[in-house]
Amino acid sequence: MKNVMLTIFFHWVIVLALAPLFVGVIAKVKAMFAGKKGAPVVQPYFELARLFRKQCVYSRTTTWIFRASPIVGFGAVLLFALLLPLGVCKAPMRFSGDILLAAYILALARFFMITAALDTGNSFEGMGSSREAFFSCLSELALFMNFITLAIMTRSISFSRMIGADVPLSWPHSNPVLLLVVASLFIVLLAENCRIPVDDPDTHLELTMIHEVMILDHSGVDLAYLLYAGAVKLFLFAGIIVPLLIPFRTGDPVKDMAVFLAGMLGMAVFIGAVESSMARLRLNRVRNLLLIAAALAFFGFVVALWRGGA
Amino acid sequence: MTSWIDLSCILIVFFALAILATYRIGGMIKIFAAQSLTLGLVPFFLHADALSGRDVAIALGTMVLKGALVPYILFWAIRHVSMRSEVKPIIGVGLSIIGGAVLIAGAFWVSLSLRLPGKQASDLVLPCSLATVLLGFMIMVTRTRAVTQVLGYLVMENGIFLFALSLFNAMPTLIEMGILLDIFAAVFIMAIVVNHINEEFEKGPAAVSRSKMGETF
Repeated sequence: MKNVMLTIFFHWVIVLALAPLFVGVIAKVKAMFAGKKGAPVVQPYFELARLFRKQCVYSRTTTWIFRASPIVGFGAVLLFALLLPLGVCKAPMRFSGDILLAAYILALARFFMITAALDTGNSFEGMGSSREAFFSCLSELALFMNFITLAIMTRSISFSRMIGADVPLSWPHSNPVLLLVVASLFIVLLAENCRIPVDDPDTHLELTMIHEVMILDHSGVDLAYLLYAGAVKLFLFAGIIVPLLIPFRTGDPVKDMAVFLAGMLGMAVFIGAVESSMARLRLNRVRNLLLIAAALAFFGFVVALWRGGA
Repeated sequence: MTSWIDLSCILIVFFALAILATYRIGGMIKIFAAQSLTLGLVPFFLHADALSGRDVAIALGTMVLKGALVPYILFWAIRHVSMRSEVKPIIGVGLSIIGGAVLIAGAFWVSLSLRLPGKQASDLVLPCSLATVLLGFMIMVTRTRAVTQVLGYLVMENGIFLFALSLFNAMPTLIEMGILLDIFAAVFIMAIVVNHINEEFEKGPAAVSRSKMGETF
């Protein structure tokens, strides 16, 4: 029992310690692409620390939903973290079907965020909520299609098996499937975490944004929780994709962990490069991007079935 | 080498899907060039162990003709005809993507009952070539501008070429070269046709009267 507690604690420490760094690296890469020096990679830690020292301001029109949403969001990503294996660290909670729990935990966090945004009665936030709800419907389609493909390949519906030890070793046999899954999951990552082709994390122009507009009314500690949850979610999504891309295992836990962390760093740099080299899509074309993600996932699913039947 | 062939096949279908999801004609032509270059690599992977002069000729011919020359002519055409750069699909792009996904599944389903003579290098070549042909057909049918229809035709040809490559040993070189020349001629003719058609559309009264009808009725 003590052992389990220790694993959970260790898992959380890794996730919470490294997630802001991941965001910081992306920001640094973007700054370098723009020819600027950029803030230090540890800047997100300072920002979180600053927000955590502040007080919250609540509008009189809001109810308990508005106050609960940051806590629920943060708790949800912490729970999500427990279901994911990170490199050599096995997932502290694993059972058959935990992918469904993971998907719906994220949906719960999103539900609270959307209702909290509607709770403020701000029309801009209503717009953001409607977009978020619509786009997340489509990205969920792609996400589940990818999960099904991985489930067919590994004959398991638990994260620990699906992105755990044995999948990436099948690269020589089924690399087209894994390539499609990774490409599709990457689009889902960009959409779910409000990165550039879908949403711009830096803009504060209400008419064009999705995620930023929903947290306009949050302040102080609440905002810190929301930003921290966003960083952790991005880190965990990258943590789903990176293990799929590493086609070998050294067998030594320390080396494997180092390879995993190097992969995460590479992923952060890649996300930064993608964000720098693309423009935001027009809102009515985001739908098509997500449909492409779903089509790629479906294509991967068909190929996996084809290979599975052969 | 099988995994590289698989990879190329998947990429070729992916590019066809990407053409279906593109709004700009210039972007479509670029993606088509990328698809042709990928296709040009396939002969190298197919006969990696014993590369003959014929393989190299086919590969280089594909890359130069379809990967460089055809896109160049098409770019020339859209530059000189002063047409709008947006495609005009009959059905929406979102619906096209879903349709494309269904077509891919259909291609794999049909391939289940197709048996090809001889030993195949990879079991993905046949379904992927069929999927490319179907996607090219879809591009051709659902995009109304002349250039985009030419592109659909070329994507279809790419699919047929991939299919022919898998039967490479059974086919003489002449047929392969014939396909390339065929496409070359087709693009040339189409480029001219595009030119004429577009000029006539812009001068002619057809478009005007149609919009008037739309207003009155």
